[in-house]
Amino acid sequence: MKSISKRTYFALILACILLFGVLTFVIRYFLYADRWVSFAGSPHVYTNGKLDTGEIVDRSGVVLYTSASDRTYADSASLRKAVLHLTGDRAGNIPARVLQAYASKLFGYDKLNGTAAMEASGGLLRLTVSAQVQAIAMQAMDGRKGAVGVYNYRTGEILCAVSSPSFDPLDPPDLSTGNTDGRWDGVYVYRFFHSAYTPGSIFKLTTLAAALDLDPGLAERTFTCEGSLVLNGERITCPKAHGELTLREALASSCNCTFAQIAVQTGKRPLSAQAEAERLEESLNIDGIHTSRGHFDLDGAGDNDLAWAGIGQYTDLVNPCQYMVYMGAIAGGGKAAEPWLVRSAECGGEETYTAETEQTPQMLSASAASVLKELMRYNVEKVYSAAEIPGVRVCAKSGTAEVGSDANTATFAGFLDDERYPLAFIVVVEEGGAGSSTCAPIARAVLEACINVMDGER
Amino acid sequence: MEAILDFFRGADGLTFLSVYQSALRLALPILALFLVIRSARSLLGFRREPEVWAWLRLATGELLPVTHWENLMGRRKSADIVLDFVTVSKNHAVLSRQDDGSWMLTDIGGKGKVEVNGRQVLNGPVDYGDTLSLAGLEMVLEPVSKEEARLQANSRTRAGKGNSPGLTLLLLTVFQLLVALELVFNRPDDRIPVVTSFGITLGVEWAMFIAQKLIHRSGFEVETIAFFLVTIGLGVCASANADALYKQLIAMGIGIAIFLVLGFCLRDQEKAKRLRLVAAAAGILLFLANLALGRSINGSRNWIFIGSFSFQPSELVKICFILAGTSTMDRIVTRRNLWSFVIYTAFIGGCLVVLNDFGAAAIFFVGFLAIALLRSSSYPSAVLILVGVGMLAVLVLAAVLAIRHFPHVADRFSGYGHVWEHPFDNKGYQQTKSLMCIAAGGLFGLGLGNGWMQYMAGAGASDTDLVFAYVCEEWGLLMGVMMIFALAMLGLFVVRSAKVARSSLYTIGASAAMSILMMQAILNVFGTVDFLPLTGVTFPFVSNGGSSMMSCWGLMAFLKACDTRQNASFAVKLSTKEGDKA
Repeated sequence: MKSISKRTYFALILACILLFGVLTFVIRYFLYADRWVSFAGSPHVYTNGKLDTGEIVDRSGVVLYTSASDRTYADSASLRKAVLHLTGDRAGNIPARVLQAYASKLFGYDKLNGTAAMEASGGLLRLTVSAQVQAIAMQAMDGRKGAVGVYNYRTGEILCAVSSPSFDPLDPPDLSTGNTDGRWDGVYVYRFFHSAYTPGSIFKLTTLAAALDLDPGLAERTFTCEGSLVLNGERITCPKAHGELTLREALASSCNCTFAQIAVQTGKRPLSAQAEAERLEESLNIDGIHTSRGHFDLDGAGDNDLAWAGIGQYTDLVNPCQYMVYMGAIAGGGKAAEPWLVRSAECGGEETYTAETEQTPQMLSASAASVLKELMRYNVEKVYSAAEIPGVRVCAKSGTAEVGSDANTATFAGFLDDERYPLAFIVVVEEGGAGSSTCAPIARAVLEACINVMDGER
Repeated sequence: MEAILDFFRGADGLTFLSVYQSALRLALPILALFLVIRSARSLLGFRREPEVWAWLRLATGELLPVTHWENLMGRRKSADIVLDFVTVSKNHAVLSRQDDGSWMLTDIGGKGKVEVNGRQVLNGPVDYGDTLSLAGLEMVLEPVSKEEARLQANSRTRAGKGNSPGLTLLLLTVFQLLVALELVFNRPDDRIPVVTSFGITLGVEWAMFIAQKLIHRSGFEVETIAFFLVTIGLGVCASANADALYKQLIAMGIGIAIFLVLGFCLRDQEKAKRLRLVAAAAGILLFLANLALGRSINGSRNWIFIGSFSFQPSELVKICFILAGTSTMDRIVTRRNLWSFVIYTAFIGGCLVVLNDFGAAAIFFVGFLAIALLRSSSYPSAVLILVGVGMLAVLVLAAVLAIRHFPHVADRFSGYGHVWEHPFDNKGYQQTKSLMCIAAGGLFGLGLGNGWMQYMAGAGASDTDLVFAYVCEEWGLLMGVMMIFALAMLGLFVVRSAKVARSSLYTIGASAAMSILMMQAILNVFGTVDFLPLTGVTFPFVSNGGSSMMSCWGLMAFLKACDTRQNASFAVKLSTKEGDKA
């Protein structure tokens, strides 16, 4: 009997599996129940297929979206269009990701009481963006494809996160017939968060950060540009021979030959390490929006490839939001605040979520950051007068990324070196021609709007 | 204070109903917790005191107790009667007690003769006073005197001591009354079936309790747990489809009848052995009838319709299967008739594959493993492993074929592990809705009849395959966890009581029964929450379904038969009449 009795351990194993499984499930319940309950189609929180959450307002309290009675949007068409990628559309082609991420906070779900404690209405999601700024950015983009982003590198608030083209959710275009010229291509994509562009010369700021760390004396050196440079049998060219120039002159004239040399001298490993420090290939979770990953890979790259990679070509890709944060890090002496979109969530008048500022890891050394800041300021003074704002120190770098025969992506990134307006920004225009001439006016318009809004809040 | 008032406030403000329901949301899990803890203390905390059935006196004068109905004699440490002499084999003989109190000695192939009073026996009777000899080692079988038996019965701890089963049942009664009252409030139109079904259940459980008291049995924990689960099941049924309550009641009645009859039959080994053959035949007949008359519901052809009454033969076959699989130790160790059971299992497995019921096939497979493991005592385990692996291979092959040919099976399997990617199609609709509703229920539930899962009852299987989610939504996650604890506790009880079991027949029966029920719970709960593919299996006692209810009650008889605590179980004969008076 004893030997037989022992073999009832089989039942013991089953009992243990059962108990262990239940324990696992209870743990998962406490981790994820709020996600389950607010998932699309959840019978307790959706009525007629709509998430019944309440309102979304911008930083000034402008109502952008109301879930009640078949979703209403902002009053004016230009505002509706400017925040479309945040509020989503009626057809569900563009999801309102921030709303989904905070749904359970808006209707007052809690894991102890389930939906029994739920408020019937009264949810309020306060965003950090300014609808007014977004509308100005949208207007400045003028239907061109691309993205505009501005954020406060001290607090992390995103003031502007525009994706163009966009449409009025009350008057959506019919893509099956209305897109023969391709002007609506990718309209459902939130380009600011969900795209990765060839950066072009703005990437020289990354190369330079790596190079400055290896050779702090770089800023005092002079370089010679003969108009072209042959590396590994490949010719790298500048529009003209820049002759002898200092580092700041090289950056201001965006001299490819100089930066090709710097990239090759710096080497693969430090460049890759710098890209990693900037988290270019990571995805950030910004209040429920997961940014697209960039790309930086020097595996098997020759000197010519390394040179191209160092000036933002080759296989380089960056996500606009990510690179905007890097701008913030330069401004902030190596670190910046992590970006966020949702300031607070309320349910029935009670605050259920409040954003808090978090810092990014060190992206570049403080000394490199201070050198870059001066160089970028010099850029604006010498070259980008179109971006100048009276009374504010604008620092920037432009780029013109070659992505096809004559389809250049214009990029412009930088920040305000000003404690009253600690703003970092990026502008990307697809098929936009030269970086500074296309993007600098857009950046200026948007930044001025931001300054206005911030002044108004004081 | 505000928070407390909020807790009690309902949709219409602070009303009597809202206060009652809110209080109930707390009271029900607390009552259930007490109930489960009291039963657990009783079922898992008892001292395992052996029963002495006879003595063996060695030539040295040493007395060895004979503590089971079946005793392995030999040199090995795990023998029941350890004879540590070099001449004795590791497994030498089996001494077994017959129903009439007489003893048999069986030679199980030890080196050296087995003799009774100097005559060699292979399998022969032993009387008290006879001299047994194992390879020359002599000992005398001596009876336990009436006085000794009475003392033993008195000294063993009585079942339920310290945890009065009557009080536990009273807790259950309060639980049931509160549930019934809430259902009447929430579903005034269904008050007649609700009151009837809860009233009858109450009556039946107290009648059973009193009847057992009358025959001097005091262990009622297994029944209490079963009725606890039944109550949750009735609540689900009332919420999903109150008219089905009558059907559930009838099924419960039949189930309890099977439980009592089977329990009484299991008192005597001879009766049980005779029942085995009947059961084996009945199992085959049930499946043949199923193959001939079966109709398809949800893709599995495992239903038979008699008039408007439908039932699943495979549920009742579980009882037959276990009975057919039990065996006494003299048979186990003399290497006989496991093959016939293997063939029997293969037949059942084959039928289930033909009927396209993979959940049931998996359950029977686990039942087979439980039985085969216990019966493999002195078998070369390689054979068993081979058979087990072979059957698993056939099962997997059949499943693969089925997935190819039957789209509904394919859908269920292909959605597994990533149901959130398929919230609106066959691959994940049921699981995602379940998880949403579990989350909506919170720890204390939304109240009986207030959930959403009821709209998915019947064809959507929310009251059967997804019943865990149904319970979590309306009764709360705590209650969902509690019902799993309750079942696992019965499993642990079987493992614990195996040490003092009288015969391997009972150990095999109880262990297989609980293995099957726990496997069902595993497939049911983990299928619902996407830990496993959803196979469409019922949760014992709770899922809505008559056949399942009958079979679960029937399987409980095996548990009662292995409960050897003093004066515990009606399915266990008292060791002495004297025990009655103690």
